[in-house]
Amino acid sequence: MKILTLIKLTVDVSQLKYEKDGSPLVEIAPNKMGDSDKCAVEEAIRLKERYGASVTVLTVGATRDHERIIRDAYAMGVDEGYIIEVEEYQKLQATTIGDIVKAFVEKTGPYDLILLGAGSLDTHSYTLGSIISSKIGIPIISSVDSLSYNGSIVKAESVMEDGVYVFQAPPPLVITLTTEANEPRIPTLKTILKSKKMEVKKLRLEELGVKPRYVTIEDVRKYFVERKKIIIDAGEDLEKAVETIYSILKMEGLVK
Amino acid sequence: MDFEFSEDELRFRESVREFCKRYIEPKWVEIDERGRIPVDLIKKMGEQGLLAIPVSEEYGGMGGTITMAAIAAEEIGYHDPSVATAVYVLLNNGWPFLMEKYSGEEAKQEILPKVAKGDAFYGIASTESHGGSDVAGIKTTAVKKNSTWILNGEKTYISGIREIQELPEGGGYFLVAKTGKPEYGHRNITAFNLIVKWNGKVKAGWKPTIFEEIGRRGISTGSFTLEDFEVEDKYRIGEENKGFYYLMEGFNVARILVAAATIGSGRWALDQAVEWIRNRRLFEGRSIASFQGVSFKFSELYSELEAARLLTYRAAWLADKIYVEKDSRWRERDLNVPVALCKLKAPEATSKIYEELMKWYGAYAYTKDCNAFRGWLGTFSYTIGAEGAQNIMRLIIARDIIGSEYVKG
Repeated sequence: MKILTLIKLTVDVSQLKYEKDGSPLVEIAPNKMGDSDKCAVEEAIRLKERYGASVTVLTVGATRDHERIIRDAYAMGVDEGYIIEVEEYQKLQATTIGDIVKAFVEKTGPYDLILLGAGSLDTHSYTLGSIISSKIGIPIISSVDSLSYNGSIVKAESVMEDGVYVFQAPPPLVITLTTEANEPRIPTLKTILKSKKMEVKKLRLEELGVKPRYVTIEDVRKYFVERKKIIIDAGEDLEKAVETIYSILKMEGLVK
Repeated sequence: MDFEFSEDELRFRESVREFCKRYIEPKWVEIDERGRIPVDLIKKMGEQGLLAIPVSEEYGGMGGTITMAAIAAEEIGYHDPSVATAVYVLLNNGWPFLMEKYSGEEAKQEILPKVAKGDAFYGIASTESHGGSDVAGIKTTAVKKNSTWILNGEKTYISGIREIQELPEGGGYFLVAKTGKPEYGHRNITAFNLIVKWNGKVKAGWKPTIFEEIGRRGISTGSFTLEDFEVEDKYRIGEENKGFYYLMEGFNVARILVAAATIGSGRWALDQAVEWIRNRRLFEGRSIASFQGVSFKFSELYSELEAARLLTYRAAWLADKIYVEKDSRWRERDLNVPVALCKLKAPEATSKIYEELMKWYGAYAYTKDCNAFRGWLGTFSYTIGAEGAQNIMRLIIARDIIGSEYVKG
């Protein structure tokens, strides 16, 4: 069994700081492997441990942090890792990533499973899995919260608003996973030190024959909720204060 | 000069943080309140490779460095600011490291892998009731009969008494005992691997007592007596009558890790302080950080902790130069002053932070609803004496810098 896992270097939004005007300080924010991508890596390693699969990890970018997340994946148990070197990786459109994955699969595949996070921590398009599925021409099961495999059939559960959906299909498949899928293992010092010695392979877009298309993110701002700052002092007349609150809530349409 | 951690160290720190957030932070108050680190957490720390970090891989260790052990102690101290969990970790890093350096092959193969896995505890037993600072004055004796040593005496204020009894395999100590004539002073002390419980069975001649402590309650402290306790010669550590020197080396490593653990706790306290003084509003809605009486004090405390942190990692760096890189420019004793500096500074700085934090909190800090007291009492123990009294640190520095001919011990 061959598994390809896609990982993205994302801004660690939990550590993001903002300017006073609400603009995020993205340049100084720490980066990390996306949370749901990490769950995809964990799922691949679990399949490897159970069925002896080989696991390849792929990312797109051109920084030292990209090498670091490949090594983080090695420290979890991945066998080989590739970086597709693109300087302006942050501007790449999801369809270009789809082209890259398709070309990579043609070059190094075929793969039985392509696993990735359902959506990235930062740009949230939630489209990449579907794009890859349509470009390669294999089925997709998306937003999977629980995955199992019996050696021939993949069974996946997805918790939706209206209930739990259970899917079954044989590989090859594209599967996108949520952060509910598992609790990723934490690399140990031993595996971290071992991962340092493993080769990170690199390919350029020209080697894959992919022409990039870019989308520029023009502006990212913090979402502000304008507070009304109405202070109702109950003082000695509690009933009147309650009436005032009720009338305001009614005006806002929050009570009938 | 480079003040950055290496990429390996940064990645390791990240992994320790992740571990702490998942397994230690949610439990630290319970650990302090109930007075025990759950055995399954100790086991998890073993699986995660947080024990025996600087011990060689062939003995089940991680093959890491003293700096990495300090990073682990600091992060664990941050996520359990009572420092109990960090103390378990630092003991089971520092003393196994020294044990590996001087013990015989058979003892290393037998003991270290179980300590690294978290199945057995390995700490230090040197203090006796007459006073921990006077190591040369210990009264516990070891007398050799054929290939066995017979030990008699008492050790007190010893960590890990309950843990040894509760862990599946058991464990023991790096113990020092008198093996020669009393007039030889510190030159008649020999070190032993004193394994008091092994393969789940307590050995004859070991009688432990557990004390009720006021702080860092998660790790036990107590005393034990040895009555004709037998130790095979294969468990002797290094040469006969050299135990005092090995012990001092061990203290150097352990003190770096103690400093790191208290710094972690101090960092936690400062983070609580920032949050509180920003948001606590008094006198017509002013944030209390707007008063210089608060913000200037905060800055002083911050600088104290940063200074302690730099001293600690400098000592760890030097320890790695000496022990890991075997850099011939330094000798073991060159560590004495750098280590004494960080052990002197870190617990004092952290204690001061807690005192101020609790004053900023006001009456709330004097209730058990506020957890600051747990960090305060835990780190305060290291201003009293554990792992070397503060006045001993002052003595080490003074004797080295001013000269031992002027400063008498």
